[in-house]
Amino acid sequence: MSDTALELNPQGEAVSRIEVDQSAEWVVTIYWASSLFWLLMATLAGLISSAKLHSPDFLGGMEWLTFGRIRPVHWDTAIYGFGGTAASGTLLWLQARLCQTRIPFPKLLIAGGIIFNVGVLLGSIGVLMGQSTGVETLEFPLYAMPLLVIPYVFIVIANFRMYFTRRSSHTYVSQWYLMAVTIWFPILVVAAEASTNLGAVDGVAQAVANWWYGHNVVGLFATPTAIAAAYYLIPKVIGKPIHSYHLSLLGFWSNAIFYNWAGTHHLTGGPLPAWTITVGVVGSMMMFIPVITIGINHHMTMLGSFHLLKTSPTLRFAVMGSMVYTLASFQGSLESLRSHQEITHFTHYTIGHVHFGMYGFFAPLMFAMMYYAMPRLTGNEWSSARLIRIHFWCTLFGTALYAGAMCWAGIRQGQMMNDPAIPFLNIVAFTKPYLWLRTIAGLILFSGTIAFLINFIRIVQPHKLRFVTPTLLNTERDYKMLLKKESELKHNDK
Amino acid sequence: MMFYVFIFIWAFALIAGVTMVWLLAWAIKQGEFKNLRQGARSIFDDEEPVGMVTDYFPGEAPLMKQLEVQR
Repeated sequence: MSDTALELNPQGEAVSRIEVDQSAEWVVTIYWASSLFWLLMATLAGLISSAKLHSPDFLGGMEWLTFGRIRPVHWDTAIYGFGGTAASGTLLWLQARLCQTRIPFPKLLIAGGIIFNVGVLLGSIGVLMGQSTGVETLEFPLYAMPLLVIPYVFIVIANFRMYFTRRSSHTYVSQWYLMAVTIWFPILVVAAEASTNLGAVDGVAQAVANWWYGHNVVGLFATPTAIAAAYYLIPKVIGKPIHSYHLSLLGFWSNAIFYNWAGTHHLTGGPLPAWTITVGVVGSMMMFIPVITIGINHHMTMLGSFHLLKTSPTLRFAVMGSMVYTLASFQGSLESLRSHQEITHFTHYTIGHVHFGMYGFFAPLMFAMMYYAMPRLTGNEWSSARLIRIHFWCTLFGTALYAGAMCWAGIRQGQMMNDPAIPFLNIVAFTKPYLWLRTIAGLILFSGTIAFLINFIRIVQPHKLRFVTPTLLNTERDYKMLLKKESELKHNDK
Repeated sequence: MMFYVFIFIWAFALIAGVTMVWLLAWAIKQGEFKNLRQGARSIFDDEEPVGMVTDYFPGEAPLMKQLEVQR
C-alpha cells in the first residue's frame, strides 16, 4: 500500500469501500428519503406560516392551520423530520466509511427510521390538533417523544459498534464530531424534557432549560454532523488533505467546551439574574475560537481549488455550507451582545439568522452528502445535471433573499420600535413588503427541493443497468438512453 | 418525583462529563494526537489517492466511462 493509504489494524482487513456502501444502501436511503419528505412538509408549513403574516386571512377559517399551530409544526418537522433523519443517515454512512466496516444491525436501524418517522408524524398531528406543549422546539406532545428518542438509541448502539470494531487505525476528525453527537443528543433531549414538559423545574428556570436545549439542539446536534460532513467531503472531493489537522482538533474541543454555555443569550432582557445572560454572552463570544479554526481549515483547504466548484455538485453545496457556517456563526456571536440585542431582539432579524444557519449551512452540507453518497450507495447516477444546478441556485438565492430581507427588516424594525414616536402599526406596515419577500424566498427554496426530489426519486428507482463509476458519467440524454436500454432488456426477457 | 428527576439529570450529566474526560485521556494514550499529518491523509487510499478529484456533475467528467450491465 502507498504511504497515503490507510494503515490497517491487526484485527483484520479493511472492508472495501464498495462493500461498505452496499451495506449502507437501504438503511441510509430510507433515512435520507424521509428527510426529503419532511423537508417538503416543513417548507410547506413554513410557507403557510409566512403567508399568514402578510395576508392574515389566508387559510384563516381552519383552526388547525392557525399560526400558533402551523409555525411549531414548521420548525419541529424541520429540525426533527428533516434534520434528524438527514443527520442520522449522514452519521451512519460516514462512520461506516471512516471505520471501514459494514453498517451493523441494518434491520434494527430501518425499524428505528420507521419509528422515528411515525413519531414526527404523530407529534405534528398532535400539534395541529392543538396539543402542543407550548415549549419551543419541544412542542410535540409527550406521547410522541419516546418514538423520537428510542430509535436514536439504536443509532447510538450502531455508531459505537462501528467505532469499536473499526478497521482503520486512526480516528479522523469527522469521527470525533460523530461520536460526540451520539453522546450529546440523548442527554440534551432527556434532560430538557425532564426539565420542561415533565416539570422538574418551573418559572424562569424552565425558560433557561428550554433555551439551553433550543440552542444546543442546533449547536450540538445539527452543527457537529454538518461539520463532520464538511471535513470529509471538501478534502475528499478535491483530493487534498485538510489545511491544518492540528486546528481541526482544537476546533472540535473548543466547540465541545464553549457551545453548551451559549443558550441563555436568547433570554436577554428577560427576568433572569444578569449573570445567567452574561454566561450565555461569554459562551457565544468564545465560539469565535472554534468558528475561526474551522473556517481557516475549510477555506484554506479550498485555496487553489475553487475552479472545481464549476464541475462538482457536492463541492458547490459543501463550500456554500462551510462559508455560510463562518458568516452565520460570526453573526450569531455578535447577535448575543446586549448592545446588539437592544435593536434586534424580538424582531425578524433573529428569524433571518436562524434560516441563514439552517438553510445556508446545515441543509447544503446534508445535500452535499447526499449528492456524493447516493450514486455510490445505489450504483446509479444522478439523472440530470440541470436539476442539480436548479437545486443549487434555488438554495443559494432563496437563502440569500430570505436572510437578507429578514435581517434588514429586523434592524429597521428594531430601530423603529426603540422610537416611541413611531406608532406600532406603522412598523407593521413597514415590514409587510419584506414578509412578502420571505414568502417568495420560501417558494424559491421549495422549487429547489422539488428539483432535488425528482433527481432523488429517479436515482433510487431500481435499474438493471448500473454505472461503473458513479458521478463520472451520464447526462439527462444518457439517462433516457439508459431507460431505453432497460426497456429493451425487459422486452428481451419476455 | 422532582427529586428523582434531579438525581437522574445530575447522574446523567456526571456520566457524560466523566465519559468526555475519559475519552480525551484514552485518545491521548492511544496516540490519536501523534503524527497528525498522517491523520489528515487517512481518508485517502490507493483507489482514491491524494490529487484525485472524486466528484463531477453527471456527464461532465474529463474521463468518460462506459455503462456496465449488471443483471
